Amino acid sequence: MLFNSLHFAIFFPIVFILYWFVAKRSYQWQNILLLVASYYFYSCWDWRFLFLLIFSTLLDYLTGLKMSNAQNHKMKKFWFWLSISINLGFLGVFKYFNFFSESFAELLSTFGLQVNPWTLSVILPVGISFYTFHGLSYVIDIYYDKIKAEKNFIDYSVFVSFFPLLVAGPIERATHLLPQIQKARKFDYSRAVDGLRQVLWGLFKKVVIADQCAQYTNTIFSEYETLSGSTLLIGAIFFTFQIYGDFSGYSDMALGTARLLGIELLKNFSFPYFSRDIAEFWRRWHISLSTWFRDYLYIPLGGSRGGKWMQVRNTFIIFLVSGFWHGANWTFIVWGALNAIYFLPLLLTNNNRSNLDVVAQGRFFPSLKEFFMVLSTFLLTVLAWIFFRAESLTQAVNYLAGVFTKSLFTLPNFKGKGQSFVTMLLIIFFLLIEWQGRETNYGLEKTGWKWARLARWSFYSFIVFLIGMYMHTEETPFIYFQF
Amino acid sequence: MKKFGKSILLFTLIMIPIYILLLIIWEIALPPLYKKNLNYIQGSAGFAFSRFQEVKQKQNIDVLFLGSSHTYRGFDTRIFAEEGITSFNLGSSSQSPIQTKILLNRYLDKLNPKVVVYEVYPQTFSMDGIEAGLDLISNDYIDFELMKMGINLKNIKVLNTLTFTTLKNTFVDYSAYKEVQSKYGDTYIPGGFAERKMGFYQPKKFEKQDWELKESQFQKFDGIIHLLRARNIKVLLVLAPITKNWYTCHTNTTTFEERIKKSGNYYNFNHSELFNDSLHFYDKDHLNQNGVTLFNREIIRILNSQNFLNKKR
Repeated sequence: MLFNSLHFAIFFPIVFILYWFVAKRSYQWQNILLLVASYYFYSCWDWRFLFLLIFSTLLDYLTGLKMSNAQNHKMKKFWFWLSISINLGFLGVFKYFNFFSESFAELLSTFGLQVNPWTLSVILPVGISFYTFHGLSYVIDIYYDKIKAEKNFIDYSVFVSFFPLLVAGPIERATHLLPQIQKARKFDYSRAVDGLRQVLWGLFKKVVIADQCAQYTNTIFSEYETLSGSTLLIGAIFFTFQIYGDFSGYSDMALGTARLLGIELLKNFSFPYFSRDIAEFWRRWHISLSTWFRDYLYIPLGGSRGGKWMQVRNTFIIFLVSGFWHGANWTFIVWGALNAIYFLPLLLTNNNRSNLDVVAQGRFFPSLKEFFMVLSTFLLTVLAWIFFRAESLTQAVNYLAGVFTKSLFTLPNFKGKGQSFVTMLLIIFFLLIEWQGRETNYGLEKTGWKWARLARWSFYSFIVFLIGMYMHTEETPFIYFQF
Repeated sequence: MKKFGKSILLFTLIMIPIYILLLIIWEIALPPLYKKNLNYIQGSAGFAFSRFQEVKQKQNIDVLFLGSSHTYRGFDTRIFAEEGITSFNLGSSSQSPIQTKILLNRYLDKLNPKVVVYEVYPQTFSMDGIEAGLDLISNDYIDFELMKMGINLKNIKVLNTLTFTTLKNTFVDYSAYKEVQSKYGDTYIPGGFAERKMGFYQPKKFEKQDWELKESQFQKFDGIIHLLRARNIKVLLVLAPITKNWYTCHTNTTTFEERIKKSGNYYNFNHSELFNDSLHFYDKDHLNQNGVTLFNREIIRILNSQNFLNKKR
């Protein structure tokens, strides 16, 4: 069930009405409803994987309790590693087994040994990387005594499987979400309206921006061998907007939907394409994952303690792991490595935290310097996304080589070029809204805040119209569902 | 919560007229490039408008032709008239059983045919009915049944077009439109046939593929057969000739045929030696005028040999 489907448009109002009218007597009833709704939502993808989700939930719930009740540190450690091993084991089998098997066979073949890789014919359970990371953070926090184990199984299950974030995040923390689940939620008019507004903006990003861009991205990447450098660059730029519209659009819809149910989720995006350097970009892109890696990998590895080289090593590790988290393909690992390389000069010159505020804060126009900083960071990310989008390293390298040819200075030419003009206009509109809203939580949050209500609602109606006029008529799954 | 409900209602009341107003502005002021999900084309290729206007003047015919472009480009009513057979061609672009059912509900009583020749093309059973739905919305009147179809298709392009057309038809007489009778190399022949300027086909190869048949279309098809049988109308189910490579590249035509054969007299013209890809077609699945003549004579022969036209109902 996609957020942008008719199925969800029927499902959510039913849940909303039951939640606020029927189950409102107590938050426990609301939690039971949320759990049933979440399991139904998940089983719409593939009901068989519901058992995996329940098992994963049960595992972390029980090991959490065992750790809390452990008589000594040795036992606590045992339960901790048991949970970590099984969680990562599941992720390894479902997501990475074939990758390791095939890579090993390729490695052997370089030494002249021909081996048929043993692969598993299993499909990737949707959202496995997300809910596994939910569970891991919970178990790690208990191990380090940051939180106490949750005794109520329903509450814990809702934390893991809350449907707005179940399949593509944001990756929540027990410290943030569990307390909200454990207390009564009160309907708040302003928050509910804000939630609806964020859903609207997320929908626009997904079905208008991302899905429109996807058409051209798919065409250009599939025919890249025959296209000019300028066309390949346009293709990479389209993908840059596609991935942002797709993923941040999903996050907006998740946050908005949760807010309608009285629950605040972690912010996942903060206008990453308006970053002045790559460090700022990573503070604004997929924030819940970046902070997860910071807290559970970078800091335990020593973080920035232990000198510059330790910091460089740890930075490379988290970028590589982050790349690998996205998918079992060398393209993702190289994408991670490339970002680490981009990051390196900032780290070595102690400039990785020099842009902590918002670009052109308090002004509409950026300075020339800011403009070029934003533009150069944007272009660096465009080049890195080529690895993310390519199906193989060979394709990525050839694509990149194709960009930097003399034909980079010719006019782009590809199937649907004329229609892409409309997409470009929509991207400009989208960027304008995002730019003027860059000091808020999401582009549309304060747009028209000072206008009369009729004017503001007319503007929202215009966005509804743009969705109706330009949305892709076939349902397209979100890119991040595969991770 | 009450305030929230009221706000949603109020917003919807404001949003709907703005949406419609923008739909009108987009349709009137912008070229097709900017109208991705609005497809109002009165007088579209295939002469649906002229056909739907003409059918309103017809009654008590011998043969009614139904189906896709293979129908309106494949059954020349003049050839049937030469044999003393009165007929009307009610085919339309990509007409799927969903639209066929609507057209029958609209015109069957008045046309009162003795025989229905129903061209069944697996591709129209593989379609969602959107293209033909848009054609029907833009070129014939809107009624409750058509609105129901538009909603059931669950497609924003259909809904936008339906909204715009309904509104336009409320203020403007849609039938006042005058369609050019000769365009894109086609000429409209009274009786519903679209005659294509003579052309020939250069055969091509195609990759093996399956028709992605949809059960919902078969259900509509069954409804059509039931409707015709209830009225004692003879039905001839025809798989019109298409080029050999195009026919043979589909691997599940037999599955389709097995389903169709259960519904009555079925003739597949793709095993006939009469048709030659280079001589009788102008593209991979449409006959040229030479092919049409051959095909129609065969149909007349079958109608006569089966005594379809003389037999009392």
